[in-house]
Amino acid sequence: MNLKALNNKKEELNKKAVDSLNSAKNLEDLSSIYKSFLGKNGELNVLLRTLSSLPEGKRKEAGKSLNALKKELEELYILKTSQLKNFIASKKLEKEQIDVTLPGRKGREGSLHPVSSALISIGSFFENLGFDLEVGPETETDYYNFEALNIPQDHPAKDMHDTFYLNTKELLRTHTSPVQIRAMENKKPPLRIICPGKVYRKDSDLTHTPMFHQVEGLVLEPSASFSQLKGLLNEFLNDFFEKEVNLRFRPSYFPFTEPSAEVDIKWGNKWLEVLGCGMVHPNVLDMAGIDSTKYSGFAFGLGVERLAMLKYNISDLRSFFENDIRFLKQF
Amino acid sequence: MQFSRNWLKEFLDLKLDDKKICEQLTMLGLEVDSTEAYFSELTGKDLIIKLDLTPNRGDCFSVLGVARELAALNNLKLKLPRIKKIKNDFKSSMNIKVCPEGPIYKGRSVRNMDLKKDSLALIQERLTLSGLRIINPVVDITNYILLELGQPLHAFDEETLNGNIQVRLAKDKEKITLLDEETIRLSKDCLVIADSREPVALAGIMGGLDSAVTESTNSIFFESAFFHPKAIRGRARRYGFQTDASTRFERGVDYTLQDYALERACELLSKNQDAEYGQVLSSISSRDVPKKNQISFSLSYANKILGTKISKSNAKRIFNSLGFKVNQIGEDLNVVPPPWRFDLSISADLIEELARLEGYDKLPKEPILPKYHKVQSSLENYLRTYFKFKGYNEVINYSFVDSLDEDIFSESSKNLTVENPISQNLSVLRSSLISGLVNNYIYNQNNGEENLKLFEIGKVFLGGKERIKERSIISGLICGESSLPIWSTNDTRFNFYDLKGDLEGLFNSLGMKYKFKNKGPKFLHPGKSSSIYFSGKKIGYIGNVSPVLTAKKNIKEQDLIVFSMEVESLNFKAPAKFTNFSRFPSTSRDIAVLISKEISAQELVDYVKKCSGNNLQSLEIFDLYEGPGIPEGIKSMAISLTWQSKSKTLVDSEVDLIVNKIVNSLSDKFNAKLRS
Repeated sequence: MNLKALNNKKEELNKKAVDSLNSAKNLEDLSSIYKSFLGKNGELNVLLRTLSSLPEGKRKEAGKSLNALKKELEELYILKTSQLKNFIASKKLEKEQIDVTLPGRKGREGSLHPVSSALISIGSFFENLGFDLEVGPETETDYYNFEALNIPQDHPAKDMHDTFYLNTKELLRTHTSPVQIRAMENKKPPLRIICPGKVYRKDSDLTHTPMFHQVEGLVLEPSASFSQLKGLLNEFLNDFFEKEVNLRFRPSYFPFTEPSAEVDIKWGNKWLEVLGCGMVHPNVLDMAGIDSTKYSGFAFGLGVERLAMLKYNISDLRSFFENDIRFLKQF
Repeated sequence: MQFSRNWLKEFLDLKLDDKKICEQLTMLGLEVDSTEAYFSELTGKDLIIKLDLTPNRGDCFSVLGVARELAALNNLKLKLPRIKKIKNDFKSSMNIKVCPEGPIYKGRSVRNMDLKKDSLALIQERLTLSGLRIINPVVDITNYILLELGQPLHAFDEETLNGNIQVRLAKDKEKITLLDEETIRLSKDCLVIADSREPVALAGIMGGLDSAVTESTNSIFFESAFFHPKAIRGRARRYGFQTDASTRFERGVDYTLQDYALERACELLSKNQDAEYGQVLSSISSRDVPKKNQISFSLSYANKILGTKISKSNAKRIFNSLGFKVNQIGEDLNVVPPPWRFDLSISADLIEELARLEGYDKLPKEPILPKYHKVQSSLENYLRTYFKFKGYNEVINYSFVDSLDEDIFSESSKNLTVENPISQNLSVLRSSLISGLVNNYIYNQNNGEENLKLFEIGKVFLGGKERIKERSIISGLICGESSLPIWSTNDTRFNFYDLKGDLEGLFNSLGMKYKFKNKGPKFLHPGKSSSIYFSGKKIGYIGNVSPVLTAKKNIKEQDLIVFSMEVESLNFKAPAKFTNFSRFPSTSRDIAVLISKEISAQELVDYVKKCSGNNLQSLEIFDLYEGPGIPEGIKSMAISLTWQSKSKTLVDSEVDLIVNKIVNSLSDKFNAKLRS
């Protein structure tokens, strides 16, 4: 082949390729056009292979011009591809539409029982302050439930605890305080613990259920004081209710603390009792084998349902244990 | 304890308004339970105050006691009623003998009375305001003194008494018929008042019926005594009752008050009756009268405990205002409590008195500093979160259940029963959480909601020879439609595999190796249940509740699928250890085999794994088919297998060789055929 023939072929190829690329309707067309002109065995490569038939002196120039064409066509291909992609995309945008107001595909939503939510929130407040979580048995002996807590047989204080007795020698614990006794026996002070759990009292009416949840806490440290107890519980209640609560401490009586206090919070225009607390009674420390000249302690106990009722605006205590799905799924 | 404010004001010049009085009482530890306005014909505007007293404050079970507290707080002088002593008209010949349990006994005969008369109007009004019944002038006066001074008195019909009066312990099985007409059998630790023949009163608790004062009584014998709290405590409760007298005696009555109370009673009686009085009879066992011991009190220790800086003079002033005797010994104080306080015996008790009168609200608040400690992650809370996000609602059921339910769902043979249950359907401690969940289903289904996913975490109780075993258990129940209704899908009902999938997801997230094999407990469908194993140990079960049982419990025909596992058997995943993954391409093959229905998927999978070489990456069952086109007793199971080598690209011929081996082995082992 001579140079002229090659140039003619080149021009012809150029025109054909540019026309095809310009008229391609979709990406598949484009890639087959690419294949037939620019592919391994495409027309341009076939033409490049004929260069060797040219005279020595012409080859370099002809090669240069063919490669320039190849580059041009490749650029055009890229341009066309991107134009076509944009075109297709804009068509999609034009045509496709869904009704976004139709509801989404939901999984079933689960929930935690409000008592659990409250327990988790109480637990994390105290754990962040260095309290260890302790648990213990719900069936207890008279010793751990009463005697070790300075509640002797026949003491009028026992009237405060209507106890369920079992057909074995045990009883159902009336508070989680036995856990504190066990912790004091098994661990060395200083001690910061909280004891959450179920407790049982023989009481069933509008404001009492025979089973409920308590969290009790105990701090046993060289300088544990009533003022720390006040500070701690104030912080706790603010944290739990996620707002500043108005509270008051007033004298009360528990056999296992002295001085003892009841904590009320102002809710609307009423004072509501939410917590019992006090400095651990020296008799309790003695019985648990704690040196009361080295360590002082304070303890507190709260009813979880009562706090949860206030926080979540629940008016009927019994709804905690009816397990009505219409109630449960709101938490 | 309930009383009129006007009565209270007779004891001190209280210039406070009602709101302030109530606030002060509550903040002193005498909680005001409620108040009610009242207009008195005799004393004008009045207020009924009801106190909720704590068991330690026996001294406040009287108007005097309450007044004493307010006097101390407000620095007021207490005014006791001035009494004009009633002269003796005759000499009675009765003798009294006391005992160590009842060491003080005062008595006086009063004769020639007319008890058909009404009590004084003021007495009637105040008793009524305190919630007591009007009976006759004598009984009304004993009740009045009880409320006013806190000293329970008793009056006997003198004509029914035989011989001398004796305070003594009951003889074993001795009987007495009490005022409430109940006859009780006494035990040797009961204190009685007896005449020469028999007990005439259960001391400090209730009088006998035979010696009761009625409106036809002409002469009485007044009793004003002190009995030790220990001799009274629990006795009334043993017979199933409690009285105003026992409430006071078991908490402790002022042992210096007996003469004064008796004089006050006689004076009030003289205003109502034109009667004749005998001399005051008295018997005291001095060595058995309580003595208040000195309590050594360190103010610096008290200030440390309270976080306060109360001065010595302030402490002394407070103690004196409460009627304590205070001596200073060096830096410490020696404090002797007054005879009406039975709740003060150690220094901590005095610290509370100091704090109380100082005002709990005035004590400082101090922060507690955080302390580093290792927080134990709560597996229970992890489980809660897992099941919540799987769409389960958490329930909490009572730990006691109906014995009929326990019989159905129990896995242990010995029931743990509550001796004194609230009701028969809450009388047995549960040994399984399933009965609660099934009842939750019934409750919600009755309310029109039968698509449920529920779980509970709680203790179950297992009786045994030794101590009761308590196990923390997680259980769940699913039933109904598996997804919320949606416009583009057909609903499907929950089945076994929905629940199993949730559990497998949990085990995988915990990195636990598990096996489902064998049947579940008897209350599950034997063909649709399984036990769950971790490293060879059975830790729970899963399955459909047996249709026999749902029929028994009248449950609408419906699949209830439940599970139960021991929480203690679950563990958190150990920290992850990264292993390098292969960067060579993987090769997959699908095999469908026809195999006997008797062969479980697990058996098939285990065997295929064994034949698949070291490079097997994954094995999934992706199709199961039984029915037309497949012979009876045969199922078609399709498995997808993927291989990948860590060191090279696997070539097709290698993989084909393995597939052939699998197909041949399955044919040899299970007589399985490749499905074309």
